[in-house]
Amino acid sequence: MVQRGSGVVLSLAGLGFGYPGEGRVLQGVDLDLAAGERVAIVGESGSGKSTLLHLAAGLEPADAGTVRLAGQALAGLDEAARTRLRRVQVGIVFQSFHLIPTLTALENVMLPLELATDLGAAQRRERARAQLAAVGLGAKEGREPEQLSGGEQQRVAIARALVHRPALILADEPTGNLDSRTGEAVFALLLEQVRATGCALLLVTHSDALAARLDRVLRMQDGQLQDLAARASAR
Amino acid sequence: MSRSLVHAWLRDWRRRPLQRLLTLVAVVIAVAVVLAVDLANQSAQQAFDRSMDEVAGTATHQILGPAGGFAETHYRDLRLAGWRATAPIVEGPARLPDGRTIYVLGVDPLAEGAFRGVASDIGDAPVQRLVTEPGTILPPRGWWADAGREHEDRLILESAAGRFAVTLLDRAAEGDEAATDVDGEGASLWVTDIATAQTLLGRQGRLDRIDVSLDDAALETLAEQLPDGLELVPVAARDQASRELAQAFRINLTAMSLLALLIAAFLIYNTQTFAVLRRREVLASLRLVGAGRRALFGVVMLEALLVGVIGTLLGVLLGIGLAQVLVGQVAQTMTDHFFVVAVTEVAPRPLALLAVIALGVGLSLLAALAPAWEAARVASPGRLGRGRLERRARRGLLGLAVAALVLLAAGGVVLRLGAGGLVASFVGLFLLITGFVLLLPLVLAAALRGLARLGRGQTLPRIGVRSLERSLSRSAPATSALTLALAAAISVSVMVGSFRDSVEQWLGQALTSDVYVVPVAPAAARSGARLPAEWGQALARIAAAESVSTGSSQDTPSDVGMIELYVVAPHPAWLDDLPLLRAEGPTEALDRRLRERDAVLVTEPFAAHHDVAVGDRLEIRVEDGRRVFEVAGVYRDYGSPQGTVLMLTQRFYAGTPGAEGVGSFGLRLPEGADADVAIERLEAWLAERETAAMVTRPGDIEQESMAIFDRTFAITHLLRVITLLVAFIAIFGALMALQMERAREFATLRSLGLLPGGVRGLVVFQGAVLGGFAALAAIPLGLGMGWILIEVINREAFGWGMDLRLPWGEVGETVLLGIGAALLASAIPAWRMARMRLVPALREQP
Ligand SMILES: Nc1ncnc2c1ncn2[C@@H]1O[C@H](COP(=O)(O)OP(=O)(O)OP(=O)(O)O)[C@@H](O)[C@H]1O
Ligand SMILES: [Mg+2]
Repeated sequence: MVQRGSGVVLSLAGLGFGYPGEGRVLQGVDLDLAAGERVAIVGESGSGKSTLLHLAAGLEPADAGTVRLAGQALAGLDEAARTRLRRVQVGIVFQSFHLIPTLTALENVMLPLELATDLGAAQRRERARAQLAAVGLGAKEGREPEQLSGGEQQRVAIARALVHRPALILADEPTGNLDSRTGEAVFALLLEQVRATGCALLLVTHSDALAARLDRVLRMQDGQLQDLAARASAR
Repeated sequence: MSRSLVHAWLRDWRRRPLQRLLTLVAVVIAVAVVLAVDLANQSAQQAFDRSMDEVAGTATHQILGPAGGFAETHYRDLRLAGWRATAPIVEGPARLPDGRTIYVLGVDPLAEGAFRGVASDIGDAPVQRLVTEPGTILPPRGWWADAGREHEDRLILESAAGRFAVTLLDRAAEGDEAATDVDGEGASLWVTDIATAQTLLGRQGRLDRIDVSLDDAALETLAEQLPDGLELVPVAARDQASRELAQAFRINLTAMSLLALLIAAFLIYNTQTFAVLRRREVLASLRLVGAGRRALFGVVMLEALLVGVIGTLLGVLLGIGLAQVLVGQVAQTMTDHFFVVAVTEVAPRPLALLAVIALGVGLSLLAALAPAWEAARVASPGRLGRGRLERRARRGLLGLAVAALVLLAAGGVVLRLGAGGLVASFVGLFLLITGFVLLLPLVLAAALRGLARLGRGQTLPRIGVRSLERSLSRSAPATSALTLALAAAISVSVMVGSFRDSVEQWLGQALTSDVYVVPVAPAAARSGARLPAEWGQALARIAAAESVSTGSSQDTPSDVGMIELYVVAPHPAWLDDLPLLRAEGPTEALDRRLRERDAVLVTEPFAAHHDVAVGDRLEIRVEDGRRVFEVAGVYRDYGSPQGTVLMLTQRFYAGTPGAEGVGSFGLRLPEGADADVAIERLEAWLAERETAAMVTRPGDIEQESMAIFDRTFAITHLLRVITLLVAFIAIFGALMALQMERAREFATLRSLGLLPGGVRGLVVFQGAVLGGFAALAAIPLGLGMGWILIEVINREAFGWGMDLRLPWGEVGETVLLGIGAALLASAIPAWRMARMRLVPALREQP
């Protein structure tokens, strides 16, 4: 197990967000994620889980409160600076894979290395190959996303999120588009890889069983995060 | 058709107004351009026909004499002999104080009767004044409006014979109520009494022609009664040559409008197909919730119909506006070359309207049909993926390529056979062009695959290239449109450039004197104006010239109809400078033949139009009647598109006292002589003469000729700009669509860490790839088209041969223009994509 530096990877304080003309989706969300910590978020459909991840990744600016990524407040940064911070510190796994359809599996995994590091082409290829092998797809590196099954696509996506060793993985229902057996396998792989690389994980899921396998479970309700474990112990 | 169905489908207009509007704009512009070019084309023809009718009227025949006209006593004799349906004419150009050229038609108002619309509807009062008051003239009705002149005003007219004051008569002010002037008719004809016209144009006691209206029976009797020196010529023969010329000019325009049509078709097809494809998931979902196949199909076609109809209507309006601009250009060209024409109004022909409706509405429907049908047929949304459609499109490429090869072969065969004249040549050319264009998608796909292979390891450029390849059904038509427009631009510069070079070279060869003395006359009248022949010796003495040449152009009857005869007394060794194409024997022998026997030279277009070769015989009317001349050679000459016959003075005037007047003198100065000194002395001498003349140098003549040449082709350049504009919109629409389709992918890349600037770079890179491909593909196509225009079409239409010139500078310019256009077209999509909000794009369905 790789040892990461300690400290807080992601810190949300008083986070608020709403769509114009709609009610508030998020209202005063507080969350601190320590390095290497693995946290699950559960909650009703439409409760704002995906929105929270988007704000945490800096894909969209919050309209209240602060987001700190690796100690950096996002609010003061412009689009380019936020992107630079994100591509080094964060890896994202989407529910519907979001692989680039015009690239092969290997090229998809090489992409973050090209964007976030200054490795040479040969080194990028080597690192990407190793990461792809680590998710068990070494033999299919030349395939295009269309030629892969859903589970395989999500494994490529996991490799892509991890290959440049970010401090934080954000995963939005990574098993939501997979059948339960495949989902179980992909989830296990994700956990194993996160543990192996030592990065923190913030994962949204609908499955309480999966959530329970992480360090902490939070519930999104009424625009706020409640610590389930804490509530259980209070009762 | 349920309401919610219509709603679901049309909602997109609110969600993506820009994209939907682009569809409409595409139809508007396509229709407008095609209609405008046709209108311009048609109005040129109308103006031309009208000029012919105005001048010739309803006469069936004309009695013509030598170039300088004939004695008016012949007319009196005819009337006395009982020929009533005859009308004498003196005509010629003159110039208004503001520099505009008008055409003076001197008629006998009392004899006009049935002949001319313009002249016959003169009311009684003006006729009285025209006949009784010398120096009165009737300007065309339309002229008053913006001339700022009034009835009875006096005005100075300048003609070959000098400057004269005339009194303007307004028909309306003279109480000429009955007259109904058709719009634009007579717009350029100034009608006056024959006596006034004779004074104005310096033709005292002479007539230019007598119009005759005859049936076949009377024809022979009259022909027999005509005195020597007069000819009875059918009207049709007289304007045949001019008509041919106008025809050739129209062909130029038609070629351009066909190209515009092709590019416009691409534009409409591209945007309409996209409009449906873009919403295929809406269709699929509607189908899933149970919407009927026919209802779905109906709603899609309804939208296409609405877009087509509204776009066509707006396009027709825009086209009529655009036509006014083009028509102005056309009128200028026609005035330079043929007649003084005024074009005032243009109305679309029913056929042209039908064509643009078919284009705007029909093609819109057709383009929507295939994707709508497909979408309505398939039940599951998953089976409608873009990828699947693209795979099918790629499979279609092979069929397209086969069709392309067939077309190319057919075009080659048609051109090769050469039968069927100009129309066949055009058919051949268009088969070749279409074949080439249909081949492009396959080549583009291959080129993109090659580029992608080259870029292995360069992930981002590879994404750019591969996504272009995956969206081939989008990128290929737009690229083809751009290729076509650029190729048209290249072919025009090849053709016009080669033409221009050849003309320039020819002018250099043809103008062999150091100084010319020519009559002072408006450009259009110059060939008819004459200087006293006896000036020759005096001019030579004053300028201390080595030798003097003379030349005069005139129309004269022959056994192949009216021809343009150029009568010359050349410098010694003149044949060494003449670009002879075909002739027998050494030039000394040829020179002797031309001097001592009845022989002539003809120009290349003359040989082509009249199908004559060296050794053939022509019966030509010269000063003392008709004689047979042998064609001794063919030479290159661009002076007149219908062709010219060159004859030496001594042959033309053989057996007569000789020439009274000549069209121009050419003086050759001794080696090292100062031309400026000679010109100064000549000008001083000329200032004291009664006949107005001026001195020019070859350089001035060259300059004037090239200016007219450039104005002739100005319209081609204008059309070139318009086609490029249409192509620009096509590529802009395609890039916009392409990038919108890829919004989710771009959002993913952004979420992985691609900077906004990187997105911009990627989009611009894609534009550059398409633009570069179009530019490269346009080079062979454009050069090939240019070659065919020169070697086949121009030869067929004008009989002109020219040396092919490859204008690499302009080719390079066009290539840059193409890439520039593509880059410019990608600016807006690049900017939009870079600023796109990520989350909504990420949430989009794949
Ligand atoms: N573009 C939008 N405009 C307005 N409201 C939106 C938009 N996108 C999402 N919402 C609303 O924001 C709220 C939160 O959405 P979000 O996607 O974060 O929910 P979620 O918890 O991820 O739900 P799920 O579990 O179904 O994925 C929802 O109530 C949704 O209706
Ligand atoms: Mg969600």
